[in-house]
Amino acid sequence: MLHKLFMYEALREAIDEEMARDKRVFVLGEDVGHYGGSYKVTKQLHTKYGDLRVLDTPIAENSFTGMAIGAAMTGLKPVVEGMNLSFLLLAFNQISNNAGMLHYTSGGNWSIPLVIRGPGGIGKQLSAEHSQRIEAYFQAVPGLKIVACSTPYNAKGLLKAAIRDNNPVLFLEHVLLYNLKQEIPKQEYVLPLDKAQVVREGSDVTIITYSRMLHHVMQAVKQLVAQGMNPEVIDLISLKPIDLETLVTSVSKTHKAIIVEECMQTGGIAAEVMAQIYSHAFDELDAPIRRLSSKDVPTPYNGYLEQACLVQPTQIVEAVKTLMST
Amino acid sequence: MLRYLRVLCLRDWLLDHTVAWRQYARVRRSLPLTVTFTPLQIGLPCASFATRGDRVWSSTIRKRTFSTENESSPSTTDVAPGPAVGDRAQRSTTPSLYPGGGDKLSGSVSNSAGVVKATEETLRQMNLFTAINSALSCALESNPKVLVFGEDVAFGGVFRCTSQLQKRFGRQRVFNTPLTEQGIVGFAAGLAAMGYRPVAEIQFADYIYPAFDQIVNEIAKYRYRSGGQFNCGGVVIRAPYGAVGHGGHYHSQSPEAYFLHTAGIKVVIPRDPFTAKGLLLQSIAEDDPVIFFEPKALYRAAQAEVPLSKYVLPLGRAEIVRPGTDITLVAYGAQVRVLLEAAQVVAREDKIEAEVIDIQTILPWDEATVCESVARTGRCIVSHEAPLTGGVGAEVAARIQEECFLDLESPVMRVCGYDMPFPLVHEKNYLPSAEKVVQCIRDCLNY
Repeated sequence: MLHKLFMYEALREAIDEEMARDKRVFVLGEDVGHYGGSYKVTKQLHTKYGDLRVLDTPIAENSFTGMAIGAAMTGLKPVVEGMNLSFLLLAFNQISNNAGMLHYTSGGNWSIPLVIRGPGGIGKQLSAEHSQRIEAYFQAVPGLKIVACSTPYNAKGLLKAAIRDNNPVLFLEHVLLYNLKQEIPKQEYVLPLDKAQVVREGSDVTIITYSRMLHHVMQAVKQLVAQGMNPEVIDLISLKPIDLETLVTSVSKTHKAIIVEECMQTGGIAAEVMAQIYSHAFDELDAPIRRLSSKDVPTPYNGYLEQACLVQPTQIVEAVKTLMST
Repeated sequence: MLRYLRVLCLRDWLLDHTVAWRQYARVRRSLPLTVTFTPLQIGLPCASFATRGDRVWSSTIRKRTFSTENESSPSTTDVAPGPAVGDRAQRSTTPSLYPGGGDKLSGSVSNSAGVVKATEETLRQMNLFTAINSALSCALESNPKVLVFGEDVAFGGVFRCTSQLQKRFGRQRVFNTPLTEQGIVGFAAGLAAMGYRPVAEIQFADYIYPAFDQIVNEIAKYRYRSGGQFNCGGVVIRAPYGAVGHGGHYHSQSPEAYFLHTAGIKVVIPRDPFTAKGLLLQSIAEDDPVIFFEPKALYRAAQAEVPLSKYVLPLGRAEIVRPGTDITLVAYGAQVRVLLEAAQVVAREDKIEAEVIDIQTILPWDEATVCESVARTGRCIVSHEAPLTGGVGAEVAARIQEECFLDLESPVMRVCGYDMPFPLVHEKNYLPSAEKVVQCIRDCLNY
């Protein structure tokens, strides 16, 4: 049984199902209650579960993230919505020093079953502060899992898994994917948090990507296939820990790899992925791994500049062709 | 935690003033290099909390010598209470920061393109914290727009870096702030936007996270998002980072990697007193915001001859600290000496000549120097205290492999901290020690 849902509806279904299944699960964040969330992910949940389980908070990211961590320590399962993930930089201390490390520093006495989710990524002219891709900042925080969904199907399965997970999970959604529509099963399903997904099998080159860039890659792949190439596409899904097994298996098959990411290049996700692949599959590589990232600048407001800042499908096609010819 | 520290500080202060006539010394067991402390060096002893477990009270100065040059075992000798620490003869007995020995200062000076004409009269033996103090006082003297502030800065700071500055430059220019990192950095951003050159101290790099939003969203982006109309150039955020022996996870973190992904700022980490002063003065003069992390383990452990006058070292430039032919070792800050130690071991035992590069500026880092070296040696190891995943090593390794793929005989390897919160009792196991680096060098050469 399938039904067609937008991604934001799939996410709401996931939260709804988990809240019905487990009384400890609750949602908090700015405007999540009566307003239903700025992207409608928690729409109507407050009428079903009440104001205490769908809790509107003041505009104070550091405080309500800290509050959620405290709730998690006492046995609840909070789902924090960052109205925009860039605002979570205000809660960096709570996420890094408390959420990420408390399990360790308490000698295992406390666990933090916390989900922090929200929209990130470059949208349509949202300018520098609302277009951030925060995954790279949190990549180095020990104790944190980072997951990026890319379709309504994996959004639902992964969010359910994240809520059930006993560790703090940073769950990244993309502003421009909320209105993506897909047929997904009506039955309950949960997807593993730490597995990358081979989206398209191929033999010539491995294209590694995540979140919205998956859709840019798939557009590029169409053109590449038309030109007789057979690329393999991997959706990373788990940005931390990285599913190295899937990556190394693929690279051992294709011997060439290219990483497409939406975050900035310096210190980005691709840097870590590359370093890992090199250290585990150095002899398998026929050419240096290429990385295509956004420009190392704050995201411009100007629409043309914003597009120029992002990796476009044509660039991916060009890069793959160049890589294939080396 | 801070309140606890302050109680300790007060207790120490009282203790020391009741026994002020005593010779006071501490032994720092966790560091491989010689450390000798006397009250003058320490100023107010409240900075001593970091090595609290190891402090030794004695009526004589206890001198512990552990030279990395000859790998001799640590020996402790008592010396009679002598003149205070200004005495050069006494200081000259401490081993050089550079295990290679020799007069490295001249090397540093010539490497920085003759910035300083140092003579014996204008040089002083300095610790890293006195070098920072000297840099701050040079900056305050030469530019009335320079302001220094932060938690406990007025009385000299917990590490004594701002000692005496308020006395010399007044409460208007050197002052305390409340315990609010976000406020300190936000205040600095505003001052810089109005043309000042604020040097804000974050007491420990571990406390920089509450200011993360101010740094990443405001300071780093201000020039760009105002279309060049305003900027926060001139902000320097100083913070002690790294392992110290027994700091635990709130006093030992290395958060530089979090800022690597922030376009619009520079991140600088010096390795010794000489580079600390030059780089800090340049950071203050720089027209971009700078985060300046100081290796707290070296505040007192590192000694070098440092010019008294003002001098600057360029940002964004790496320095080859030890030339070699077989493998390139890349690090920054306190880790440089670990690599030098490892380089000596492999030179002696395996006849491997390792080249050691201190990149000094983490963002933007000097790709050209590193890649040129790797192209020559064909092998590379990057090392830092911060956790492996998403660390500076990832970016350096990725870039080297993009640029030097065909020159590489083996993959770029990383010897870093583990992916875990900084441990208290397992610190020695956690740190990327010289032994781990030596093992990695051998693995790399035998790849």
